[in-house]
Amino acid sequence: MNTLVRNLRVVRRMTAADIAQQSVYRGAWIIFMLANICMPIISLLIWRTALASGAQLPVDERYITTYFVLLGVVTMATSSWMAGFLAQDIRMGKLSSWMIRPASLLTGFVANNLSEKFLKLFALVPMIGIVWWIFRDSMNIPAGPGRWALFAISILLGAMLVFIIDILIASLAFWMDDVSALVQARVIIASVLSGAVVPLALMPEWSRGFVDHQPFRYTVSFPVEIVAGELTGRELLAGLGFQLGYVVVFAAIARLVWSAGIRAYSAVGA
Amino acid sequence: MSPLDRTWWHKQWRHLRLWRRFFAQAVVRETHFRAHFLTTLLVGLVQLGLGIVPTLLLFGFTSEVGGWSRAEVIALVGVFQIVTGLMATFVAPNLNRMTTYLTEGELDGVLLRPVSSQFYLTLRWINVAELTNVASGIAVLVIGLVQADLAPGVGQIVQAVVLVSSGLVLLTAVWSAMSFLAFWLQSVNPIGFVFLSLMEAGRYPLVFFPVAVRTFLTFAFPVAFATTFPVRALAGDLGWETVAVGVGFAVVAMLLVRLLWRRGLLTYSSASS
Repeated sequence: MNTLVRNLRVVRRMTAADIAQQSVYRGAWIIFMLANICMPIISLLIWRTALASGAQLPVDERYITTYFVLLGVVTMATSSWMAGFLAQDIRMGKLSSWMIRPASLLTGFVANNLSEKFLKLFALVPMIGIVWWIFRDSMNIPAGPGRWALFAISILLGAMLVFIIDILIASLAFWMDDVSALVQARVIIASVLSGAVVPLALMPEWSRGFVDHQPFRYTVSFPVEIVAGELTGRELLAGLGFQLGYVVVFAAIARLVWSAGIRAYSAVGA
Repeated sequence: MSPLDRTWWHKQWRHLRLWRRFFAQAVVRETHFRAHFLTTLLVGLVQLGLGIVPTLLLFGFTSEVGGWSRAEVIALVGVFQIVTGLMATFVAPNLNRMTTYLTEGELDGVLLRPVSSQFYLTLRWINVAELTNVASGIAVLVIGLVQADLAPGVGQIVQAVVLVSSGLVLLTAVWSAMSFLAFWLQSVNPIGFVFLSLMEAGRYPLVFFPVAVRTFLTFAFPVAFATTFPVRALAGDLGWETVAVGVGFAVVAMLLVRLLWRRGLLTYSSASS
C-alpha cells in the first residue's frame, strides 16, 4: 500500500511539473486538437448525407450526430502515445537509472499522459462546444447526471485499457529490437475496431458477435455509446463489466510481461 | 538574375537538373534501407484497405449517394491514394521539417547556397518508398473505372492528369503557406496533422458535403481539384472550363506562396544570432 501511495504522490508532482512545462506550447495544442476533430466532422457530414439521400442505416440521425460530436473528446481522452517512447527508454538503457529510484519509470509516462490530456482538454472543449451548437437540433442528450457519470467512469476505464495495452506492446522491447511496426499495427487496428473511423453499430451483421466483444470496442466506442445510444440498463452493466474485466486481465498480463522483462533486462551502456 | 544563369529559363533548367539529382540520390538511399521500403509498402496497403472500409460500409446501405455509385467512389479513393502518395513522396518529407529549418537555424545554410531557397525547402527530400502507394492507387483507380463501366478517352485522361497536377500544386501551396507560419509562430510541427486531417475530406466526392463545406473544399482547401474533379473528368461530365480554372488557381496560388515566403524571409533573424 505504501508503494502505491508514494507512486501516486510522485505522479501528482510530476503531472503538475509537466503541465507547467507543456503549457509553453499552448498554440501547438490548439493546432493538434483542430486536427483531432477534422476526421469526426468529415465522417459526420458523410453519414448525414448518406441518411439524407435515403440510406437505410440501423441507427438514426441523432445517434450518428451525437456519436461523431463526442468522438473527438473520447478518442483524445482515452489515447496513449507512449509505446514508442517507453520502448526506446528500455532499448537505450534509460530504464537503468530509474531502477534505483524510489518510483517506477512508468510514473513519468502516466504524468505525461495526464498533463497533456489536461491541456488538450482546454483546447478541445470549446471546439466541441461549437460543433455541438451547430448540430444542437439533432443531438441526443441523456436526461439526468447518471449517464454522464457512467460516461466519465467509462472514459477513465477506456484510458486505462489503452495505456495498459501500450505498456504491454512496449514491454516487448525487452526482447525485440524494434517494436515500431507493432505500435503502428496497434494504432491502425484500433482505429477501426475501436469505432474511431466508423461507428461499430454500422458494422455488418456477420461481424456483430466479434465486434461487440473485442477489447478495442471498450476503448472508444462503448463510452460514446453510453451517451449516444439507447443501451438498456442490462447492456450498460454488462458493458461496464466487460470493460473492467479487460482492464484487469490486460493489467495482469502486462504486469507479468513487464516483470519478466525486468528480469531479462541487461542494461545497455552499463 | 544571378550570374550563374544567363536567362530565367536557364535558371529553371538548372533547378530541374538539381531536382533530378535529388531524386537519383533518394533512390540510392532507398536501396540501403530495404526494410523501410517494405514497411512503407505494407503500411500503405493496410491503410488503403482501411480507408475504403467506410465507403464499402456506406454503400452497403444504399446504392447511390448524390449521383455517385460505389464503383465511382472507389475510383475516387484510387485518385486520392495517388495524390496522397505523391504528396508523401515529394512534399511531406520537406514541409515536415519546416520547424527544424527555422528553429535550429538550418535555414542559414540553405540561404547561402546558389539555389532558390523556397525550391530547396519544398522539394529537397524525397521518400521514394511512398511511390508504392501511387502504384496501389492506380490499381484501385483502374478497378473502380472497370466496375463503373467507364472507358475514358484520351481527352478525358488529359483533363484528369492536368486537374490532378494543378490539385497537387494547390495543395502543396496550401501546406507550404501553413508551414511558413513558422516564421511568425516559431513551432508549427502539428500543422502537418491539420493538413493531413483536412486532406481526408478528399476521400469522398464533393457532393457528399453540405454546400458551405463544398465551397471551402474548392476554394480555401482545394482538395476537390485533386480528387473529385479528376474523377468527374474521367467519367466525361466535366468541361475544359473547370480544367482552365484549376490551372489558373494553381498559378495564382504559386505566386501567392512565393510572396508569403519572401515576406517570411524578411522576418527571419537566424536561430543562433
